[in-house]
Amino acid sequence: MRIPGVQTWIMMLLLLVCGALVLYPLAFLIVESVNVGDPQIFPPEEYGLGNYANLYEDSRVITNTLLVACISTVFAVIFGFIQAWILTRTAIPGRERLERLMELPYYMTPLIGALAWGVLLGPKTGLLNQLWRATGIDSDAFNIYTPWGIAWVMALFEGTVAFVMISASMKSMDPSLEESSRVLGASKLRTMLKITIPLVTPGILSATIFVFAEMLGSFAAAFVLGIPGRFYVVTTSIWQATLSYPPDYGRAAALGLSLFGAMVLTLGAARLIMRHGTYTTITGKAFRPRPMDIGAMKYPLMALAWGYIFVAVVLPLAALTLTSFQQFATVIIPQMKFTLANYETAVQMGSLGPAFINSMTLGISVATIGVPIIGIMAWIIYRSTMPGRIVMEYVAMVPAAVPRLVFGLGLLWAWINIPIPLYGTLWLLGIAYFTVFLPLGLRTIAGVVLQVDKSLEECARVCGASWTHQMRTVTLPLLRPGLIAAWLLLFIASVRELGASVFLMGPHSKVIGPSIVNSWLTASSELSAAMALIQTVLVFIAVAIMFRVARRIGGATE
Amino acid sequence: MNRDPNNAPRIEVRDLVVKYGDATAVDGVEFAIAPGELVTLLGPSGCGKTTTLRAIAGLETPSGGTIRLNSQTVYSGPERKNIPAEKRGVSMVFQSYAIWPHMTVFENVAYGLNVRKMPKAEVASNVARVLDMVQMQAYADRPSSKLSGGQQQRVAVARAIAFSPNVVLFDEPLSNLDAKLRAEMRVELRELQRRLDITSLYVTHDQEEALAISDRVIVMNGGKIEQIGSPEDIYDRPASHFVADFVGSANMIPGKVTGEGPNGTLAFETQGGAQLRIARPADARVQGTVIALRSAYIHFGQTSGAQNGVAGTIHRRMFHGDFIQYVVDWPAGQLIVRRPPTELFDEGSTVMLSFDPTHCVLL
Repeated sequence: MRIPGVQTWIMMLLLLVCGALVLYPLAFLIVESVNVGDPQIFPPEEYGLGNYANLYEDSRVITNTLLVACISTVFAVIFGFIQAWILTRTAIPGRERLERLMELPYYMTPLIGALAWGVLLGPKTGLLNQLWRATGIDSDAFNIYTPWGIAWVMALFEGTVAFVMISASMKSMDPSLEESSRVLGASKLRTMLKITIPLVTPGILSATIFVFAEMLGSFAAAFVLGIPGRFYVVTTSIWQATLSYPPDYGRAAALGLSLFGAMVLTLGAARLIMRHGTYTTITGKAFRPRPMDIGAMKYPLMALAWGYIFVAVVLPLAALTLTSFQQFATVIIPQMKFTLANYETAVQMGSLGPAFINSMTLGISVATIGVPIIGIMAWIIYRSTMPGRIVMEYVAMVPAAVPRLVFGLGLLWAWINIPIPLYGTLWLLGIAYFTVFLPLGLRTIAGVVLQVDKSLEECARVCGASWTHQMRTVTLPLLRPGLIAAWLLLFIASVRELGASVFLMGPHSKVIGPSIVNSWLTASSELSAAMALIQTVLVFIAVAIMFRVARRIGGATE
Repeated sequence: MNRDPNNAPRIEVRDLVVKYGDATAVDGVEFAIAPGELVTLLGPSGCGKTTTLRAIAGLETPSGGTIRLNSQTVYSGPERKNIPAEKRGVSMVFQSYAIWPHMTVFENVAYGLNVRKMPKAEVASNVARVLDMVQMQAYADRPSSKLSGGQQQRVAVARAIAFSPNVVLFDEPLSNLDAKLRAEMRVELRELQRRLDITSLYVTHDQEEALAISDRVIVMNGGKIEQIGSPEDIYDRPASHFVADFVGSANMIPGKVTGEGPNGTLAFETQGGAQLRIARPADARVQGTVIALRSAYIHFGQTSGAQNGVAGTIHRRMFHGDFIQYVVDWPAGQLIVRRPPTELFDEGSTVMLSFDPTHCVLL
């Protein structure tokens, strides 16, 4: 045999475990979606397509979802494109700092954004609306509890994602392509129209599709800002269907699978565009395009770039902070009463203290167990020549196309109907987090694996090292910075997880995300604000550590 | 060179085939390398030379054939035997050097020794010895990521020879260096190889490097071997159109053999009607319609009776420094001629082209 035994066995085991973790809940979802009998009984007593037929009645929900997704995608891509263009192509001062700050909206999460914007732009009592009315106008500036409001919050969040994708395609463009156009006599404008835009179009297109797919499956903003106005999208309808009495699991499953189908289609289209539409300018080499000299225009552009950070990060955080120190949920600006009580409650209250501890525990253990496993998977997929690696890649990437809420639903049934008593424990949440974050971890580590020159490993083999020795002495040390980054990313993602946790949290396994939602539903928004801030601070601390560690390791190996 | 026939070859490749899907990268390659010999695999990119080398190292799985190292079969298609790279005991210098950036120079070089569980003191003395050989002793404690290209190259060589392998494979080791450094390292590598009597297989696409460094050259094209021979053989007696064209600078002169010439030569009539005398090919069956003539073997000026002499006009002169390249119009079209910079002729002047029949190789 050519392949050493260890390697093959590890791959078979990983494929089996991950295959089961990913596909088993999906299988349950599919079975449940064709269950037209008593939704509580498994396996179903009657099969039929009734649940799918009912989707027709849900057409309102589907159009709502598409509406919100379309609006927010357009805004997110516009935000992302403008930021990417300003930060990669113009010579505004402080670009590096701005580029780093551009990651912050992503760490804010839509849940926190939605809570904050509810405080800012709620009808009548929203802080900005109060200011607006103070000018003497007897109406709201804007009501955030509308589809446009949901789209606004989501667009601020996804704008960063679009920014990262679009600026990557702008950075990877060889500046000489534009320079040769200028040298051949074309004007700045003509160069932009004929060269620059066609070259970045595939990047913008794939960012658009990717963001759109994410919007389809998003939950938090539609939940916080849609439910009060009885505006439902697919994800919130699923949530509602499972909580109604009797729970309509069939409807939830059919909705969830349709969403899954839609996301597979859009993500597939994005992949196709990435593969066939991009030109050979994408060489993996990062060029720093010569920034355009923009003269006096730099001040408005700077204002624009900082404006995004202000609106997406500073303003929401300030609003939340203000609210979290208030005694009453409704802040009437002239009658504010400051208090620390909300923080005391957040830390002490019977179920909330444990929720923080649980979330931290889950974050640390999911990251610690997940990184080595995903690391080996990344190595097998992108480095080895084992025949199963393609299957493994597909399996590991499936969760990217399943909305986390839908995945949580599948896991819920999958584990309720199995005699292992995992439901209601942290174990189930841990398994769920590992599964839904597989694609995230894999993408992060793959980026590093692909950067490590293959001959570094081959050389170890030729020097006489076995596979395990090579992994230990060469591969793993070289991957270390990437592995640490992946650890922190998994930690952050776990700590702020909401969609999958909503269905899987039990009375003894509370975690932060759903607890914030619950306190928002049942208690007060000033308490939710305090909790949301604590979560944000936690995430920011992790991000700060991440950058410090990354810089130290980066500096040491360079 | 030691070519004792009783000495079993260190590397023996028989009927090697490597396929990637439908594409055949290496197609029936066969050769043997004697102890202490340095053999070059020479060819254009994509000719299968690196694939052959990697198959010998165990980094590429062949589709058929056999590979024997030190009389041990390490790969055999028919026997379904394939020993993994780490058990083959050969060493290799990679094109990218593959210096591990997370280790010091010392740790890099010591790697193969540590894998073999050599005692610490011995490791230290061996590393010191080989670093000394490549003049890198002063850099032992440096982080290897702070080395220049040339220094990395030296460390890569030191690492490859540190565990005293008797076979070392070189995968275009000098191709990432600038021209001057490349010429220096070529000499040093050859010295080192001779001194340590290391059997070497050396892959390059640089024909000059191949001719300069090798005991024998294997010219490959399209996954097949075109010719195996000493550098002089390859240069003076190319076996095919491809070899004549790829190695050195040669003129291809089409025409036909018209009969016997004086002194055992053949008479050859070029297109355009020039009458030449050419060497009789070793293989009498060759029915060539083209001769290869090295541009360095053509003289300007008086012809002795035994040589070919044809009048021509200098069309273009290009000064290269070490030589001058002339494009000369003559009855059979144009001829490239390389002369030392001392032989300066003006464009448009008429010259007598003279060359020896033995340098006209019928293909």
